[in-house]
Amino acid sequence: MDNYNDDLYPLALLMDELKHDDVSNRVEAMQKLDNIAIALGPERTLKELLPFLNDVAQDDEEEVFAVLASKLGDFVPLVGGHENCEPLIQILTILASMEEPIVRDKAIDSLYKISLELTLDELTGIFLTLIRSLSQGNWFSKKVASCGLYKAVILKVNSSARRDLLNLYLKLVTDDYPMVRRAAANNLPHLINLLTEFTEEKPNDVNKINNEDWEIISKMFQHLINDDQDSVKFLSIDVLIAILEFFQKINEYSFNSDFLTSALKLIKDESWRVRYTAADRFTKIAKNFTNEESDLFQLIDPFISLMKDNEGEVRKAIAKQLPSFCELLTKYQSTRATILSKIIPVVNELSQDSQDNVRASLASTITGLSPILEKQSTIDKLLPIFLVMLKDEFPDVRLNIISNLSVVDETIGINLLSTNLLPAITELAQDYKWRVRLAIIEYIPKLAKQLGESFFNDELLSLCMSWLWDPVFAIRDAAVNNLKDLTIIFGSDWANNEIITRLLNNGDKIDEDDKIDYSNFIIRITCLFAITKLIPVVDYQIIVKKVLPFINSLITDAVPNIRFNVAKSYLILVETFVRNKSKLPIKDEELKKLINLEILANLEKLSNDTDVDVRFYASKSIQGIQDLLN
Amino acid sequence: MELDTDVPMEDVEDLKQAETGSGPDASPHNNTKKSDLNPSTVGQLDEWIDKLSKCEPLSETDVKKLCDMAIDVLQFEENVQPVQVPVTICGDVHGQFHDLIELFKIGGPCPDTNYLFMGDYVDRGYYSVETVSYLVCMKVRYPNRITILRGNHESRQITQVYGFYDECLRKYGSATVWKLFTDLFDYFPITALVDNKVFCLHGGLSPMIETIDQVRELNRIQEVPHEGPMCDLLWSDPDDRGGWGISPRGAGFTFGQDISEQFNHTNDLSLIARAHQLVMEGFSWSHQESVVTIFSAPNYCYRCGNQAAIMEVDEQHNRQFLQYDPSVRPGEPTVTRKTPDYFL
Repeated sequence: MDNYNDDLYPLALLMDELKHDDVSNRVEAMQKLDNIAIALGPERTLKELLPFLNDVAQDDEEEVFAVLASKLGDFVPLVGGHENCEPLIQILTILASMEEPIVRDKAIDSLYKISLELTLDELTGIFLTLIRSLSQGNWFSKKVASCGLYKAVILKVNSSARRDLLNLYLKLVTDDYPMVRRAAANNLPHLINLLTEFTEEKPNDVNKINNEDWEIISKMFQHLINDDQDSVKFLSIDVLIAILEFFQKINEYSFNSDFLTSALKLIKDESWRVRYTAADRFTKIAKNFTNEESDLFQLIDPFISLMKDNEGEVRKAIAKQLPSFCELLTKYQSTRATILSKIIPVVNELSQDSQDNVRASLASTITGLSPILEKQSTIDKLLPIFLVMLKDEFPDVRLNIISNLSVVDETIGINLLSTNLLPAITELAQDYKWRVRLAIIEYIPKLAKQLGESFFNDELLSLCMSWLWDPVFAIRDAAVNNLKDLTIIFGSDWANNEIITRLLNNGDKIDEDDKIDYSNFIIRITCLFAITKLIPVVDYQIIVKKVLPFINSLITDAVPNIRFNVAKSYLILVETFVRNKSKLPIKDEELKKLINLEILANLEKLSNDTDVDVRFYASKSIQGIQDLLN
Repeated sequence: MELDTDVPMEDVEDLKQAETGSGPDASPHNNTKKSDLNPSTVGQLDEWIDKLSKCEPLSETDVKKLCDMAIDVLQFEENVQPVQVPVTICGDVHGQFHDLIELFKIGGPCPDTNYLFMGDYVDRGYYSVETVSYLVCMKVRYPNRITILRGNHESRQITQVYGFYDECLRKYGSATVWKLFTDLFDYFPITALVDNKVFCLHGGLSPMIETIDQVRELNRIQEVPHEGPMCDLLWSDPDDRGGWGISPRGAGFTFGQDISEQFNHTNDLSLIARAHQLVMEGFSWSHQESVVTIFSAPNYCYRCGNQAAIMEVDEQHNRQFLQYDPSVRPGEPTVTRKTPDYFL
């Protein structure tokens, strides 16, 4: 290494590291490529680094190539600007022609990135030639690479050159290799979108898109929907959507009946992948046919047939499209009527689908139908389905319904929702499987936000309190966390009036029968956990007047487990005080007094407890409090 | 359900009779007066507990340190270890680590909840090493909060047949860890007495034991013998037939309701709680509620389809049984998937 002078050192180092036996070292070396180029400066990068990389790009492993390919995309400034790009493009062309998809894709991305910095002359000179030669390449990977580059030039050339390009692309679409056809089909929607944008922005340009261009594109589409490989054919759906959107933009509907025929053909395709893609994009397709009532009408039966498809994945995809498609149907009286007469009955069937994920998918969208159906139909038709799904054996189904209820609430009002749905929720809240109960508890804060305070207090609060006494610890723990979340939503006063008074048995309105029986250890410790959990989210006065006396009362509890949890609670209390110091309604000295005379004094007692764990946690809390105060 | 299928033990050649005598000589009653753990030990134990709770086994050197610490704690416990209420009493776990974690979700985490385990931590399940390491760690860290009794599987001979030995060999490459743990098992207490009312042990009664004091006189620090009172306490089963019977297991006895009632009466007990047998509901009463069997390994051996249970005993000696199903494992479906249509 000493033989090299300083100037050459970075390059020498890179060369050295790129010879390392371990691929991961070579990858790492390649990651530093831009630093080396910066160190070398543009001229030497161009003259020394790039020729070297040109060799590397033909003799290493894919992982190294992939890094090289992505790094070179940012190299234009490092070689001194776009006028020096040609060697970069050469290296990337080698990489883009490789069979390994990760290398190829990265190289194509980088080439496209570079193309954005080139002048028109450079583009038509270097790039157009590159695309032409790749498109007519002798090996499929070159042709695949070319498909990703058309977008760089399609709008930059004049109309005759563009037509040549489109004809060249048509050849790719009809290539013998399915890999090439796939790549062509994949990139086609993007090309069409570019043409659409261009037409929109410059409607009267001399180079505007004309009918001959569209004839070529139309040919491409025809080839794609008739492709014998379903892995190519399903890509034609996005092509169709792109074409439809173009005509929609220019308000041209004369070809719609042809396109509708194609769309219907794809929706009914034998291959489930094609049908799946059609189902997945159904609304995107359908919204281009809303101009004619009869066109839209013709899509309803195909939609229903997808809902009844043999393949679960297809049903799952179409279930997702329900609200958006039905929204489109509301445009005309006749199509609107079919929602109730034709679609809802099938929704009903789908809600009892044999596959869990289909029902879960439906559950996530079905509530979206209620604003479309309006109040009475929601009550008559949808509510019964919701109720069935709320009792579904697959938890995701129930949860998807619950978490989307706010939409329903807007349509039918909270009262109706409560009388109809709350019984089902209450039932689930008492499910014999504790994980089902747990899932419901975890959704309570969400529900509480939707329902509002007074409604919540009337309908759900007692349920929330009852979970505190569940036989399963995990449920009690979730119930404690739930009370904290609810306090964050409804505020400190609410927590004081509705929770703390009940837990401490000191509200006037509590009946003798409802009073909590503290004789049981689990009940006492759960109260302690709940009160402790609330400390960070309730006001200072409540802590001092209610929480602290309660905690103090437990320091002589007969059960050591309670006493050491008391010790832990004291630390949380002081932590909260210190965190909110500036907001507390008392002076520093008063706070110090409270901590010293009450909290630390009690902890001292606990630190001399007969039980080792009580001593341990008391000492730990004392230490923690002293650290906080100093 | 039928009996555990444990085979009778082979003859033991090297019974550890050497240590016969008056038992551990250190003051066994004053557990609480033992000096508190020092902070670095606490830190070390908390670190191990953290690691084990993720089902990652400790290193061999850490197991050695842990077992040394555990001997220090367990040798001072009594043959009839006194336990305070409230406490949650649990049966066989058998290396089903994830179900042990589920148990703590049901009953609450230790040390907030006090636990009494009645043996059989190892064998059968895939995670005997993690299970027993975890429980022993908890025992050393919170000696007053958890009691771990010895089961018939906490033995050198049984573990060589039913999986713990092989698991140690697989996970550590040598039998060292197996040796460390089986040596430690000799120190485990064999019975516990909850607030002088509930007598807890792994197996059942022995014709040679009439009073609890007789258990106190045994020398327990040895390999489980293949006959005699200590063997019986770890091997016997209650039976519908009265009196003493020959156990189909080849060790211990079967005992009838008359025996249980007499024992409870003599010793002023309200209940005998034991484990040792698979019961489909997780717990099962016998002898008109004078004996309860608790089994805490749900879907035992990953195929029996049984529920598990634990028993909470509160300060007023009220009992509550909590039943639970196998834990939900990551990557395993939460519900049995329906067969896709095309298979029908």
